[in-house]
Amino acid sequence: MLELERVAHVYGHTPVFRDISCRAAGGSITLLLGGNGAGKSTLLRIMAGLTRPSSGAVRFSGTSGKIGHLGHSTFVYPALTALENLTFWRDAHGLAETGDGMLKILDRVGLAARAHDRAGTFSRGMAQRLSLARVLLLEPDVLLLDEPDTGLDAASRALLRKELLEARGRGACVVLAGHGVARDAPPADRILLLERGGLAYDGPASSFFSPPAERACCA
Amino acid sequence: MLRMTLAVLRKDMTLTLLRSSGLAQALLLGLLLVFVFSLSQGAGESLSARNAAAVFWLSSAFCQVLIFNQLYALEETNDSRLGLILCPAPIQAVWLGKAIAGVALLLLAQCVFLPATVVFLGQDLAGPLRPALAILFLTDTGMCALGSLLGALAQGQTTRESLLGVVLFPLLTPLLLAGTGIGAQAFGDADPDGPGAWLGLAAAFDAIFLAAGLLLFAFLYGGEE
Amino acid sequence: MPGRFLPPLILLLAGSLSLACCQYLIYFYAPAEATMGLVQKIFYIHLPLAWWSLFSFFLVFLGSVAYLLKRAPGADRLCAAAAEAGVLLSGLALLTGMLWARKSWGVWWTWDPRLTATLVMWFIYAGYLLLRGLGLPPRRKRLVCAVAGVVAFLDVPLVFVSARIWRSIHPSVLGAQGGGLEPEMKVTVSACVVAFGLFWAGLVWLRKCQLDLRARMRGSVD
Repeated sequence: MLELERVAHVYGHTPVFRDISCRAAGGSITLLLGGNGAGKSTLLRIMAGLTRPSSGAVRFSGTSGKIGHLGHSTFVYPALTALENLTFWRDAHGLAETGDGMLKILDRVGLAARAHDRAGTFSRGMAQRLSLARVLLLEPDVLLLDEPDTGLDAASRALLRKELLEARGRGACVVLAGHGVARDAPPADRILLLERGGLAYDGPASSFFSPPAERACCA
Repeated sequence: MLRMTLAVLRKDMTLTLLRSSGLAQALLLGLLLVFVFSLSQGAGESLSARNAAAVFWLSSAFCQVLIFNQLYALEETNDSRLGLILCPAPIQAVWLGKAIAGVALLLLAQCVFLPATVVFLGQDLAGPLRPALAILFLTDTGMCALGSLLGALAQGQTTRESLLGVVLFPLLTPLLLAGTGIGAQAFGDADPDGPGAWLGLAAAFDAIFLAAGLLLFAFLYGGEE
Repeated sequence: MPGRFLPPLILLLAGSLSLACCQYLIYFYAPAEATMGLVQKIFYIHLPLAWWSLFSFFLVFLGSVAYLLKRAPGADRLCAAAAEAGVLLSGLALLTGMLWARKSWGVWWTWDPRLTATLVMWFIYAGYLLLRGLGLPPRRKRLVCAVAGVVAFLDVPLVFVSARIWRSIHPSVLGAQGGGLEPEMKVTVSACVVAFGLFWAGLVWLRKCQLDLRARMRGSVD
């Protein structure tokens, strides 16, 4: 379980948000909504431990704390091939996956045929898929995704949806940031709405979408 | 930690030597320096052993600044730095991996600079070679321990690369003096005091900055922009 | 806020007054040096400058360590104030050293180990100030400068030792000096060091207050 306690963040001299307390359970998908500049990415980075919050704390319980982060940055080395990229991240994380296993993961994201091509020749969507392959390789307990469907076509979005459901199935805690809810987005169990420097909604997804419908202001 | 260190080392060597223009820029700059200094010799003269050794280490120092700018720039393309920070191993593995890669690349470059110094600056390796080899390794180690630490300064600031030199060069002075002192002896400059003091100084430098790198790198290499 | 400026201003004033009194000691109490004559008087200014610049750099080191441990922005501002004072004082120490060298040995610059080491230190901390002047984001800048402040000070003893070994190979123009000071000279130079210390403390403190005020005006909370 991932738990935030009174987290606040100040960027330069501007407060981004304050007093954010929430939890995301294992085996669930939490959707973090909010407009541009609401601080979704920052909150995800704080959850990942990449940014120190100005105050407050982030806690993990009942997990090994293995974090997968899929954000706007793909972490892809353009001059390495797809397979070499995966091999590097495997070694850096100290994992024991074999070469065949990594090829299988590349196959899952539809990059098997391009395994030995340099990632620099990939389109944005393909790089994003390679990035997804990196996250799949880690089998993280906490999966933080920042608008992961940017630049993905319908087939890739379906793939992402399938993989996220699978991650939820094996008990991972998935947090997904986005502007709104697309039809083919992964089904969220819980919704967090970040608005005007605080949490405007924190509850089950079912009651978020039921009337009063005005709440879905940022769809 | 060891596995991540080796992973970083392997990746950096692959990217630098096989997948880019590699050391070309650093090598050219160093060679140019040696060549320009060779112009200061009149016909039939050659630079004194001490001058030649100083030029050799100057080339190495410039080369090293370029090497570390290049090594740390590798992580900037797609923010791979963040990926490295998320790895469970201590982040010092990145510092160590890049420092070792730096030593390897610098030694490669010096394989070119040394003959260039001998040829262009009219030197020959008449002096004792064992202390010279020792100081070569000690100095390179110290330069790379510090270079790898301060290379992380430029993180997210690709336009500020020239800064590294300004901060790094004066800090390296003791090492460069040691390198020059023993280098001059290797090029045949007699010295009654021998290499002992310089070797001790270089070893002390290495110990201090290896420890400093281990302790301080985690502060510098973080997720903050 | 103006009340905050009072203690450093008092220190500065006390420092200035005692420095003025020191002039009496320098010119009337301390005997003229046998070989160098009047020129040797510059020594009474040169030595405090060098000492307190070194102490400034030590303060930068302490402030940097404190920042790394506590992440208090105030510690970073102390480093800024101390580094500026240190570069200024070591610059002046170099200048007075050069004037002294010119008069007593006929050259503007000798590769005396202490002079050389001071020059290298000046370069190191000038680079440090450049680093501070870069438009880095505030939090990042404080972190980077704290690390640089620690690394720079670790280098100082190495610089001194290397300059010393360098000289033993390269005999310098002057022999060992400063060993046999007469008692009156010792009293004078101690008084100068103390007086200058007051002035220095006032200077650094005042600058720190200025920087604090600026940070408050900009409403920096992070």
